Amino acid sequence: MAEEVLLMKGNEAIARAAIRYGVDGYFGYPITPQSEVLETLMAEMPWKTTGMVVLQAESELAAINMVYGGAATGKRVMTSSSSPGVSLKQEGISYMAGAELPCLIINVMRGGPGLGTIQPSQADYFQTVKGGGHGDYKLIALAPSSVQEMADFVGLGFDLAFKYNNPAILLADGIIGQMMEKVVLPDFQPRRTDEEIITQCPWAARGRQKGRKPNIVTSLELDPAAMEKRNLHLQAKYRQIEAEEVRYETFNTEDADYLFVAFGSSARICQKAVELARAEGLRVGLLRPITLWPFPTKAIAALAEQVKGILSVELNAGQMVEDVRLAVEGKTKVAHFGRIGGIVFTPDEVLQALKHQLIEQQILHV
Amino acid sequence: MELNEIIQPENLVYAKPRLMNNNAMHYCPGCSHGVIHKLIAEVVEEMGLEEKAIGISPVGCAVFAYNYIDIDWVEAAHGRAPAIATAIRRLNPDKLVFTYQGDGDLAAIGTAETIHAANRGENIVIIFVNNAIYGMTGGQMAPTTLEGMVTSTTPYGRDVQLNGYPLKISNLLAQLEGTCLVTRQSVHTPAAVRKAKKMLKKAFENALAGKGTSVVEFVSTCSSGWKMTPVQANQWLEKHMFPFYPLGDLKNVESSTTSNK
Repeated sequence: MAEEVLLMKGNEAIARAAIRYGVDGYFGYPITPQSEVLETLMAEMPWKTTGMVVLQAESELAAINMVYGGAATGKRVMTSSSSPGVSLKQEGISYMAGAELPCLIINVMRGGPGLGTIQPSQADYFQTVKGGGHGDYKLIALAPSSVQEMADFVGLGFDLAFKYNNPAILLADGIIGQMMEKVVLPDFQPRRTDEEIITQCPWAARGRQKGRKPNIVTSLELDPAAMEKRNLHLQAKYRQIEAEEVRYETFNTEDADYLFVAFGSSARICQKAVELARAEGLRVGLLRPITLWPFPTKAIAALAEQVKGILSVELNAGQMVEDVRLAVEGKTKVAHFGRIGGIVFTPDEVLQALKHQLIEQQILHV
Repeated sequence: MELNEIIQPENLVYAKPRLMNNNAMHYCPGCSHGVIHKLIAEVVEEMGLEEKAIGISPVGCAVFAYNYIDIDWVEAAHGRAPAIATAIRRLNPDKLVFTYQGDGDLAAIGTAETIHAANRGENIVIIFVNNAIYGMTGGQMAPTTLEGMVTSTTPYGRDVQLNGYPLKISNLLAQLEGTCLVTRQSVHTPAAVRKAKKMLKKAFENALAGKGTSVVEFVSTCSSGWKMTPVQANQWLEKHMFPFYPLGDLKNVESSTTSNK
């Protein structure tokens, strides 16, 4: 049978993919531009089909702590929100990273700071990859750039979260959340049985079975020596993720003289900018990080040996560009181009920025 | 001679519940927490719920409740236990899920989570230890601190003009359609302990039967925070706490005494 191609919004794709992936629970609170996730789930009533629990919480704080509770019992649980709401969730995210609980968090970013705007933005990059909450921790961060990836990364996010017992976050933005595109949803798979959960998550607090010690889910350790050991364990896990889980995509980089680095919807715009540049005879390529953490440091470092300049193109005032510079280590010129506050750049604007900031500058310096 | 040779079954009048382990408690002499922990262990054991019980410990003195009762536990962020319990019970409807929370945890930082979990009628038990003070952080004012009561952040006594009034949160919870049992107990005398245990058992039965949210408030002592001896603290409890937080059922839908439905 041919795959069924559907047309839907990114937010709706997340909801429908979650049901099909056998997710056990979703806990959320309305906020623009991601409310369709909760709305779609409520309309679909998956508790009647797959048994998935869906609950509108009293706040983002409550929602993330419901996720903490569900994850503590080994269940596949998720929440979604947008920037101001994700700020509220940082407490629970830090606790889950500390307690090593797998879960999926979705941030459909809007412009900030503060209440900001409901228009799209990528200004939560720092919050996502540099901590966000308190303490030394990392989130596995996936950046979808299409409605198809919104659907696909639900499963990928959960797989990585459970592989490493760590929260995963899907960092989307208002464009990807709201735009409609073609999508093929994942195949239906049943929710895991209790036996499967116990095998996969022997640490889960599910009621103490006879013969085993109590399972205690906590991030608390008052003895500093024990706390350091716990932190070292986390850091070792993060190094392993950095070594094994980097994901990125390249476009026209083989012969490139200049490189765009962009994620999410910015990468879609940059792809068009690459085509415009090539039509003018400029050899420009694109590297799109799919995992924002772990960051494709080595791939960017390798391309830095080849190109005359790298433009980090982001819907913010310059955040990922810092990680690009750390990867490049001065081997080539790195600049940033962005629009902020909910304004989205056009492909032509991006190309003009490349010319102005890197190509013309280089000519002037010769 | 071994201990079990001395203690013959026919002479045994009391034994530590099996689920209470031998870890030395960090609670101060005269603190109510130890007795309340023991009641939980007894009730879980007597009801045969070892494999079903999941406790949520709070932030506060009882943060380490999981060190003393050998069941599965989840440690919550400050105030968030009812949200955590909500998800655990909804995702695992065959489990017995209870929170253990102090007054600051439940009635200050976690007010929203408490009220909304109770209002949804989550099938959980909320064990609320009200000693009118923040014990773990060194005796600061709690939402339930009595008017005029001296704490480290109300060094001249709680002034209601400055700090507002002590919060009778159990009375609020009793008004909600989602609660089936809201009762105020204490553990300062053997008779009170026996009565409290009965109500705790009732609360657990309600949760298992899916009757809604049960709240068992324990009006408690904090001899260290109150700067009293254990005996003085018990006397002060009766003289000052009980008049403001009178013991008894605020709501018990089965006995339909004060049901507001």
